[in-house]
Amino acid sequence: MINFLNTAAQMVAAKSTISPDQKDLGAGTVASVVITGIVVVFIGLVLLILLVSIYGKIFDVINGRAARKAEEAKKAAEAAKAVAKPEPIKAAAPVVEDGIEEETVAVIMAAISAMSSAEGKKLVLKSVKTAKPQRPAWSTAGIIDNTRPF
Amino acid sequence: MSIINSFLDTMASLASQSGFAGFLVDGGWKNIIMILISFVFMYLAIAKGFEPLLLLPISFGMLLTNLPYAEMYHPDFWNYKTVAGNDHYIDYGQILQKGGLLDILYMGVKLQIYPPLIFLGIGAMTDFGPLIASPKSFLMGAAAQGGIFFTFIGAALFGMSAAECGSIAIIGGADGPTSIYVSSRLLTSNSNIGVGTIALAAYTYMALVPIIQPPIMKALTTKKERSVVMGQLRPVSKVEKLIFPILVTIVISLMVPSAAPLVGMLMFGNLLKESGVCDRLVKTAQNELMNIITIFLGVTVGATTQADKIMNIQFAEVMALGVVAFSIGTACGVLLGKLMYVLSGHKINPLIGSAGVSAVPMAARISQKVGQQEVPTNYLLMHAMGPNVAGVIGSAVAAGVLLTIVR
Repeated sequence: MINFLNTAAQMVAAKSTISPDQKDLGAGTVASVVITGIVVVFIGLVLLILLVSIYGKIFDVINGRAARKAEEAKKAAEAAKAVAKPEPIKAAAPVVEDGIEEETVAVIMAAISAMSSAEGKKLVLKSVKTAKPQRPAWSTAGIIDNTRPF
Repeated sequence: MSIINSFLDTMASLASQSGFAGFLVDGGWKNIIMILISFVFMYLAIAKGFEPLLLLPISFGMLLTNLPYAEMYHPDFWNYKTVAGNDHYIDYGQILQKGGLLDILYMGVKLQIYPPLIFLGIGAMTDFGPLIASPKSFLMGAAAQGGIFFTFIGAALFGMSAAECGSIAIIGGADGPTSIYVSSRLLTSNSNIGVGTIALAAYTYMALVPIIQPPIMKALTTKKERSVVMGQLRPVSKVEKLIFPILVTIVISLMVPSAAPLVGMLMFGNLLKESGVCDRLVKTAQNELMNIITIFLGVTVGATTQADKIMNIQFAEVMALGVVAFSIGTACGVLLGKLMYVLSGHKINPLIGSAGVSAVPMAARISQKVGQQEVPTNYLLMHAMGPNVAGVIGSAVAAGVLLTIVR
């Protein structure tokens, strides 16, 4: 399959090789560049889609077998839990303090969602702001030093 | 008296050999204008933060190369000669013996060494996980390369040579190293534009991605489409991440051999990272090597921006076609996103399609931002990273196709 595509690509390329200095490219030449280009890019990436999906499936099967036993036990427990899920509440935008990156907010949100799904609750992130240190670093160090067990 | 005379003679000859005199000779005024243009790009890099890591070295290279008599870069050394039937002959012996600092460093561009090394670093920094989890993203990465090929038509309409058409079109890939790689191989001494012009246009527009993309994305999508919230991606195992770079290298290099240097190094960097056993190499590829190459690449590409290659109508055409290339690329990605939105039963947000242009991770961040304007709790970033890294592979393939056709 790959060999075939390779020779096909080369054949197309050999037919329409253009010298770098050639000016006034005709409509036919330009069209062949555009069509060859788009088709080759798509064929290449579609081929990758197929291969990646196939090996993704293979790994799913392999991982699935191991996980299935563990999951079956879980499912039984979850089925008991999953009683009429509440309507999802449309959340307002979290108030984010300046200087906090979107990624940080995403991570915080992800952590909260993970917690809420574990407890079966739906939590909403309302605002994100930097915590002010309760105690200066030096006094923390002093306290640690004084309270350290002998 | 004779002492005064010889003093005056020496002063006069010093003055005539100084760079100031160089500005006064025929065509010297062009260098002054180029130096002023370099100041504009320095301002954009420092004050406006336009891709400063690249634009600052490029603009300083522009300054150095336009200082008369500094002899750091000799454009005439790089003209193709015809020797024994080879009409692309460059006399590297002459460059090594008589070249200036920037001539020597520029060999890395002309011999296509720097862009693949930058790709090594990019590979070492990229996580292909989102793409492996959702291989469909490859389609959007492929569609966004439409900008490259449609711009080829535009450049041909301006009556440009094949090399110029290819070099301008590749700007639409939104990938600096790929643009430099392609243009340094295609452009000949007969071309009216230089590698520096292409690099300037590519990096300027990459910095302008946040301004160019959102209006196109909004114009092509409806509010309903932009509001699609996408679920979580499946987790990807380590073995899958290990197989991916090897698989892509083999498939793409066999299909389009001219893309092998770029894709091969990109995937090599990624394999180093995913292997988890080459920490030291990964760190070098991501940081030191990448930074060194960026400095060499920037300053030498800047040096190719000679007055006669910038101050012509072609420069304006490159800038105009560059923005067209970017816009069409974005539009193609979004349109394919729309198609996938329909085919997937309204599960795919078309906004992630625009991330198919490979400006990583800027284009993905734009998808995230525009998506959040509709649904504030929608996090599209990881979904957009799929098309985004697919775009890097896609533009390398497109580069390979252009290099195969034009030669």
